[in-house]
Amino acid sequence: MSSPAVGLLASPFPPGVGEFFLPSLWEAAGPWLTKFTLYAWVAVGIIMVFFLVAYRNPKLVPTKTQWMAESIYGFARDGIATPMIGHEGVRFAPYFATLFCFILLTNLWSIFPFVQISPNTHIAFPIVLAVISYVMFNYLGIRRHGALKYFKTALIPPAPWYILPLLIPIEFASTFIFRPVTLALRLFANMFAGHMILLVFTLGGFALLESSSWFIKPLSLASWAMTIALTFLEALVILLQAYVFVVLTASYITGALAEEH
Amino acid sequence: MAGDPSPQRPRNDDEAGKGANQGYLALSYLIGGIAVWGLIGWLIDRWLDTGGVATGLGVILGAAGGIYLLVRRMGA
Repeated sequence: MSSPAVGLLASPFPPGVGEFFLPSLWEAAGPWLTKFTLYAWVAVGIIMVFFLVAYRNPKLVPTKTQWMAESIYGFARDGIATPMIGHEGVRFAPYFATLFCFILLTNLWSIFPFVQISPNTHIAFPIVLAVISYVMFNYLGIRRHGALKYFKTALIPPAPWYILPLLIPIEFASTFIFRPVTLALRLFANMFAGHMILLVFTLGGFALLESSSWFIKPLSLASWAMTIALTFLEALVILLQAYVFVVLTASYITGALAEEH
Repeated sequence: MAGDPSPQRPRNDDEAGKGANQGYLALSYLIGGIAVWGLIGWLIDRWLDTGGVATGLGVILGAAGGIYLLVRRMGA
């Protein structure tokens, strides 16, 4: 059946992992210029231009743009940094605001009309973000306490000596292995699954439309209605994942800076 | 929060961030305990050819250790 959306029909119905490996946009650049890298750079550009414009000529009574920028920064500072890390958390607020904006915008591509795929569906992007957080909290902890004391408080819980052999491997794994892994995996898996669900219902609609039975064809409308409903759910996930990533980074920094657990 | 010049304004919504943080910490101890000692048990199984006994023991020990840590770090 020839439908207006032939491009979408080119994909086979049960969508697979292949949907996430898009071809290069420019032969000469090879894998370095795909839709994913392009969208990541566009997101970075939007953030830079937005904040530069918003703070170019700051007013005591803020304009609308300045108010938005101040709200975002204020949220990172008064909503995340100060309540979680305390007084000295203010110095991390710029990084938290940047991190939040970057994750939010790159995630937003997954529901942006005609783009509808986020760079974060490729685990490389979340891995880099998680590595930054990982290096950051370990570095801060070592600088504050010295390597010996930092690893001692991180690895040795307050417990009788005879249980310590049981507990130290758990502490080691949960602090130094699971933290970065779950940080990256949580963001990646949420964005991957979200894109996959939208694909299933969109392509599923076309698959139903191609059915030979006239009783089944109308069901494609239900499938597309689900796509729209799930897009709103995806919007919630996008916001939540950006927030959770920043909150967890803040909590790891809190743990590294704390005097003792 | 925007347009409010005082950075030291006391806030009462720090429970939200702390809640998420503690939830993930609890989860990481529970799963971490089972995963770490399950893995060690599994390696011992492969080494001594004990047919899964060490893995089972490791999982139980790890779960116990994880719960102990959880209570110790987050309990009263």
